[in-house]
Amino acid sequence: MLDTLSFLLIDGITNGAVYGLLALSLIVIYTVTRVVNIAQGEYVTLGALSFASALSGSFNLLSGLVAAGLAAFALRDVADKHLGASARIRVLLIRSAWIAGVLATAFAASRFPGSYWLAVLASLAATASLGTLTYRLTVEPVSGASPVVLLIVSVGVYMVLHGAAVLIWGAEPRSVPPVVEGGVSLGPVFIAYQSLWICGIAVLAMGGLYAFSERTLMGQALQATAVNRVGAQLCGIPVRLAGQLSFAIGAGFSALSGLLLAPLITANYDMGLPIGLKGFVAAALGGIVEYPTALIGVMLVGLTESFSAFQVSAFRDVIVFLMVIPILLWRNAVRPPEAHEH
Amino acid sequence: MPNLRISGLKVGYGRATVIENLALSVASGELVTVLGANGAGKTTLLNGIMGLAPPRAGSILMEDQELIGLRPEQLVALGVVLVPERRELFGNLTVEVNLRLGGYRTGAPSKSLDRIYSLFPILAERRRQKAATLSGGEQQMLAVGRALMSGPRLLMLDEPSIGLAPLIVQEILRVIGQLKADGLTIILVEQNARLALSMADRGYVLEVGRIVLEGPSGSLSADPRLSQAYLGGAADYAAARDQVYVD
Repeated sequence: MLDTLSFLLIDGITNGAVYGLLALSLIVIYTVTRVVNIAQGEYVTLGALSFASALSGSFNLLSGLVAAGLAAFALRDVADKHLGASARIRVLLIRSAWIAGVLATAFAASRFPGSYWLAVLASLAATASLGTLTYRLTVEPVSGASPVVLLIVSVGVYMVLHGAAVLIWGAEPRSVPPVVEGGVSLGPVFIAYQSLWICGIAVLAMGGLYAFSERTLMGQALQATAVNRVGAQLCGIPVRLAGQLSFAIGAGFSALSGLLLAPLITANYDMGLPIGLKGFVAAALGGIVEYPTALIGVMLVGLTESFSAFQVSAFRDVIVFLMVIPILLWRNAVRPPEAHEH
Repeated sequence: MPNLRISGLKVGYGRATVIENLALSVASGELVTVLGANGAGKTTLLNGIMGLAPPRAGSILMEDQELIGLRPEQLVALGVVLVPERRELFGNLTVEVNLRLGGYRTGAPSKSLDRIYSLFPILAERRRQKAATLSGGEQQMLAVGRALMSGPRLLMLDEPSIGLAPLIVQEILRVIGQLKADGLTIILVEQNARLALSMADRGYVLEVGRIVLEGPSGSLSADPRLSQAYLGGAADYAAARDQVYVD
């Protein structure tokens, strides 16, 4: 009994760590850009599949597409008639380095198949850049639109990215090796090393994000944009850049959770949506704005999932998604929605 | 040195046009005040210059550079800075972080931070406090301080005295006077005409989106049409009412 319990606990915490990365992604993106990002789970999928193909030594098509997209926007930005000469050169240099980085990591990973961290780097570079492209293509043109419009746009993005994943990688699931094979036995309980990696990296990533947003001027600028967009503009903070940065962080974190999770459930085109939605249920506990409450939410969701999978496996997802109703009721009672914030 | 020339300016929101065919100029080192009743379009004028409400027609030249079409962050980089009426502070961030963010373009050097603290000593005391916990007057000082962090060349202040106790107003005015003495070019929008004209070199009076009066502060203060502009709507109403009664 006790070993079943501890097994379920560990399983739940691992799930929670994955949803934690998702919930943070959702919160960063929502607070800065007001996008309730339905497409968030797709970055999980794309991260895991990019990682799988980079690891197998084939050139990641996504990196190529992303580089092309970045190049198109770079051309447009360099041609901006309001730019001074030195600013133009700076834009050109930064963008070239960025595109080169995405392509170089993809090439390097395809040259050295099986090198784990190179594949991680290539996958994260491609997906985080895809995040910025998504922002510029779909959010920037309608920035200032109501949250409902932004939500519907993200549904469209979900459909496109979902289709793209099938087009590029097909419907076959791919197995992905863990960081380290095996695990450790604690008495009767077996803990896979991968579970420890997932929890460790999730904690590191969250700590890194916290340090970035508290200690650096750019991180504070990101917070400022989330708190007061007009105020941020008046400070000379480029809010478009803040939007791109939030999407890059969100996409990168989600991709990270995807490639860490892939060894446990295989990488496939359909893996993202349920994970993304469960990240939502967890983030909803904090109104998609409060990090600490969301972290309680992810553990709640992760543990509920593993325990319900054990008790009534057919209803696992039903139970997890049903949680959203008490969560919203609770949220409404504790923090009634304001009439309409400015 | 900033030399602002606005001509034929048209600004509005949605389908409504608020100001139309407006001309205004500010010489370098000058303190110019824009006066007018509520709804005259004073804030809209500043939002138009700042690119928050993109102008629909006209031209805003600063040293022969066209400002229309630039984004707010590009204007801040050029030294055009606005202290908005709503202050637009970052309430859940500390006073110091608010100030540092004001200097985002320049990397917020501690030298400029020290200058703000010597200008507003109370902010130094409150540096670790969240901006939302400050009093109204302190928030206004923080808003002015944050704007100064970016090293402005043209500072625009939107009703800095609104809703503040007379003592605090004195404090803010002292700093504005000091900035003017340092040679900063300033546009001061105010409802309190007497206050503004006591400091300004020149003034403009705005009435429903048009400039109805302009001139040096001294002659504006003495002009009976100034108080009429503030009571303009009421005067029209009185005239209309008299007419109805006569009929």
